[in-house]
Amino acid sequence: MAQVAELARPLLSPQEERIERGEPIGLVSEEAQRKRARIHRMLAGFRDKPIRMNLERAHLLTESFKQTEGQPVIVRWGKALAHILRNISIHIGEDELIVGSAGPPGRYAIFFPELEEKFFTQEARPSEPDDSLVLTEEDVQVINEELKPYWEGKQYHGAFINALPDDTRRILELYCIIAPTATARSSLAWNHDYEKVLKRGIKGIKAEAEEKLASLDPVNPKDRVEKEPFLQAVILTCDAIVEFAHRYAKLARSMAKKEKDAKRKKELLEIAEVCEWVPENPARTFREAVQSQWLIQTVSRLEQRIGGTVGNGRIDQFFYPYYKKDIEEGRLTKDEALELVECMWIGMAQNVEIYTAPGSLSFTDGYAHWEATTVGGVDKDGKDATNELSYLLLQSKKEFPLNYPDLAARIHSQTPEPFLHAIAETIKEGTGFPKLFFDEEIIPLFLSKGGTVEEANDYCICGCTEAKMINHDAVSTGCAWTNLGAIVEMTLNDGKLKLFGDQQIGVSTGNPRQFKSYDDLWHAFCWQAENVMKHTFTQQYVADTLKAKFIAAPMCSMLHDLCMKECKDIHDGPIDGALYLGFIDTLGFATAIDSLAAVKRLVFDDKKLTMAELLDALDANFEGKEAVRQMCLNAPKYGNNDPYADSIGRNIEAFFVKLTRKYKSAFGGELDIRYVTITAHVPFGAVLGATPDGRKAGEPIAEGVSPSQGADKKGPTASLVSIANTKASGYKERAARLLNMKLSPSAVAGPEGTRKLMSLIRTACDLKMWHLQFNIINKETLIAAQKDPEKYRNLLVRVAGYSAYFVDLTPQLQDEIIKRTEHAF
Amino acid sequence: MDVWGRDSSRPLRGCMNSQTRKDKRSADVGLIFNIQKFSLHDGTGIRTLVFLKGCPLLCTWCSNPEGQCFVPELAYNRNKCIGIHECDHCRPLCEMDAITHAADGKVEINRTLCNDCGKCVDACPSKALTLFGEYITVPDVIRIVEEDGSFYARSGGGLTLSGGEPISQPEFSTNVLSTARSRGIDTAVETTGFCEWDAVRSVCEHANQVFFDVKSMDSEKHRAGTGVSNELILENLVRLRKEFRKLRITVRTPVVPGFNDSREDIAAIADFLSRLPIPVQYELLPYHGFGEPKYQQLGRKYLLGDVKPPSQECMATLRRVVISEMNLTRTEA
Repeated sequence: MAQVAELARPLLSPQEERIERGEPIGLVSEEAQRKRARIHRMLAGFRDKPIRMNLERAHLLTESFKQTEGQPVIVRWGKALAHILRNISIHIGEDELIVGSAGPPGRYAIFFPELEEKFFTQEARPSEPDDSLVLTEEDVQVINEELKPYWEGKQYHGAFINALPDDTRRILELYCIIAPTATARSSLAWNHDYEKVLKRGIKGIKAEAEEKLASLDPVNPKDRVEKEPFLQAVILTCDAIVEFAHRYAKLARSMAKKEKDAKRKKELLEIAEVCEWVPENPARTFREAVQSQWLIQTVSRLEQRIGGTVGNGRIDQFFYPYYKKDIEEGRLTKDEALELVECMWIGMAQNVEIYTAPGSLSFTDGYAHWEATTVGGVDKDGKDATNELSYLLLQSKKEFPLNYPDLAARIHSQTPEPFLHAIAETIKEGTGFPKLFFDEEIIPLFLSKGGTVEEANDYCICGCTEAKMINHDAVSTGCAWTNLGAIVEMTLNDGKLKLFGDQQIGVSTGNPRQFKSYDDLWHAFCWQAENVMKHTFTQQYVADTLKAKFIAAPMCSMLHDLCMKECKDIHDGPIDGALYLGFIDTLGFATAIDSLAAVKRLVFDDKKLTMAELLDALDANFEGKEAVRQMCLNAPKYGNNDPYADSIGRNIEAFFVKLTRKYKSAFGGELDIRYVTITAHVPFGAVLGATPDGRKAGEPIAEGVSPSQGADKKGPTASLVSIANTKASGYKERAARLLNMKLSPSAVAGPEGTRKLMSLIRTACDLKMWHLQFNIINKETLIAAQKDPEKYRNLLVRVAGYSAYFVDLTPQLQDEIIKRTEHAF
Repeated sequence: MDVWGRDSSRPLRGCMNSQTRKDKRSADVGLIFNIQKFSLHDGTGIRTLVFLKGCPLLCTWCSNPEGQCFVPELAYNRNKCIGIHECDHCRPLCEMDAITHAADGKVEINRTLCNDCGKCVDACPSKALTLFGEYITVPDVIRIVEEDGSFYARSGGGLTLSGGEPISQPEFSTNVLSTARSRGIDTAVETTGFCEWDAVRSVCEHANQVFFDVKSMDSEKHRAGTGVSNELILENLVRLRKEFRKLRITVRTPVVPGFNDSREDIAAIADFLSRLPIPVQYELLPYHGFGEPKYQQLGRKYLLGDVKPPSQECMATLRRVVISEMNLTRTEA
């Protein structure tokens, strides 16, 4: 009897087919190539260009900072930003319609001297011919002779490390148990209120600041010392932004004068007109709206290091009125609209994020940056918000070949079937877009945390899997990653890690060989976990309180309702009325569950092994102990809807949320529990010995809330139910749960397959998942890509809340992705 | 070696050294060899497949050979065995001395001695040794099936009984299906049709959809490929169609190169189907060799190792034959 109607040959996803045909990078359909020839031209050879380093921003920042020693921090940053915007080199590319760049032409990275600590502690050197990042002799000279002497001793990072209690500093310096990210970026993933600029113009914001300045109480010292400098910085910033746009207008006009081609000449003059109007004034057309939003993003990239994690917000909502009006009045076609947003996508892709701060070097692989772009979901009123533009953005994601922006679709119980259908069809392309977020989980959680109904309904995605209520949340300090795998190892090693020998890292919880019951093990685990959390809370508190002494962000702040109301910089918490919804990442969730489940089953329940036998096998990294490892591998595993494992997961989550509920962050906020690994599960696993889940020393720990790689043997439905079952649903101290799922193209083939994918997504919504993303790809393709990177250089895969080129990933991460279970059936 | 790849001293059906073991099957307890969730190709929506063990047919191409025998069988996956140097948990436990080892240390099962008792299975840490076949009660099947209830609700999916031949355990299958249906779960059955009519009727009465295999119209050929002639099957199909006029019936033919992949073979089936009083759906499924590793695990030889799946062109041609021979409500594209 036929069990499956599987086709005999592996079916390929559209992306895999394109690679098989050897197509160069470009828009993916012939129709799109014809209709948007400009974009197709701009894409040609895009990824061949080397990445250049923008050191101009660093130079200008430093130049300004030298002049402003001793002044209020916000004023210093206002002046510095203005200095940058007035003097940084600008350019307009050949085919560009939307202008603005935070770096030299082509792909570029920005050097942030206020944060780049590694470049200073280690000797910078010029790049080799094969390096993807170009660093010239001159660049190195600037770094070593100009930037380093000034910034040494003035960086947030150094101050942060010095301010930590000794024991916390010691554990942080190991980097693999708690990895702080507070000083790697200026801010946590963020989202500007672009709509404010589109509706009111920079002019309107400046007027508001001027009005406030005029109405300050001249006798009140708080007004004078705190509010006045803030407002002055805002006004300065507003002027500089407008001037920045006008510089582009001027450049476009002078280029138009010299331009021979009449068509391009006209385009350049249009660019000039647009930049003379926005972002100073409210946008009137779709093109002006896109240009205005893009310039704000460009300034944001120059202002502070969050460019890559600043989202585009609910772009299908705030652009829609302009789109609709233009279409109705015959000013714009759908293809022109696509061309404009895709000009912006190219701008995003040109900015490459290179993390060089210690502890973060390999933590985000594949040049990860996000620019999360939200489509769909409900509107403020709770009704479905999908519109024509939502569909158009999905279409662009299907046809536009680069991994930017990161498209995020909000799904709710009433997401229209056609929209869900379009989403499923886009997912089936196999490039990992869009990632999905579920209103039915996120909105109630935000309500419980203190958001209003309107704010919660209007949340948007930013960064990897964060969601924000953009005018209410004010958290701006990067969170810390904690290693659950290390907690397991310390539990079974009396607070020590094998890598560090006899050094007492955690608390002493006793010789595990003496544990009499699973309860003994569990209590030791909780004790170790509490200790790690203690240091995590501590470092976050220090980072929060210290940051405003070093970093301010006048533009980011002036776009936030509450910062403007309080006349306070976003970093300078607590801001009255703001909700501080921070979090800590716990990594290796499945590793911890499976490890505890294996000990419970093998040692305490079935008594197949003694604790000593198990620990000896771990100490030997299972060398000569393969039988023990096999028992571990075949013990109950999370991800199979097995209550034995899932209940342990539920207890782990409950332990953490109960603990975090007891304390507040420096600004009175929550530190929720989140499971977002990005790619840190690879370096976090690299430092660990073998674990009782059967994982060998050095192998990655599990990522997100996904089951351990290859452990989910009962299919995606069982995984989803397991994830729902481990959630401490009764607590609000929860945040993002990242989930990867790999399906074979044959599982979702044809119209029938699309419908089944749609119902899988609907059910994930019913099960109140936070996030879900798919890789629709054959394992064989990934293995082939490892062997022949040249052929597969355009192969996009979903990594962790973002898609990246497979060949750009480290071999370890490539292996990890290959090992994720592929659900075929 | 017989035509089904088993040592001829050990007939497959009725069967083996384990014959003396008590048959625990009843109306409340069934013998299954797998429950597979997230099944997408065996009925509407996202389904759970329950595979019942034991089949009256012995198709040479069978992709579920572990579903053929009516008692639990020892399976041995050599790739997973870590060898006696690392482990050696199984050998001392075997009362029949059926476990030896090869030069590389991996164990070997002497199938003429093995009585499929399963004692070695519990001891095997790597699950190289497993038992195909597990006795399960109706409530336990229903409980596992209902774990995916929210997926059925969204996708229109449900439970599909497969095998093996589910109708060979007619009372159990009837109980599972009627219980599922009374609890609002969509039901489907995949059958060879080679069973007593009363059993077919009793089970299919509780199914919303039946997948019914017709492998060949030529009785002799049918016997050569499956071990049984086709008269009972065809007769049951006609009666099923007549008695359950509203039942959704999908006839399926596995297209096996060298057996039934000619235009004439398929045309004959299509012609037969087109004469049924009420139309049925008809699907052609290309043969695949994915079952081969399981033959090895059962200590059997896979006789179709050289057979390649039918080409896409061949399948397309045969589908055209079907379309021209009959006016079907739908053919699987």
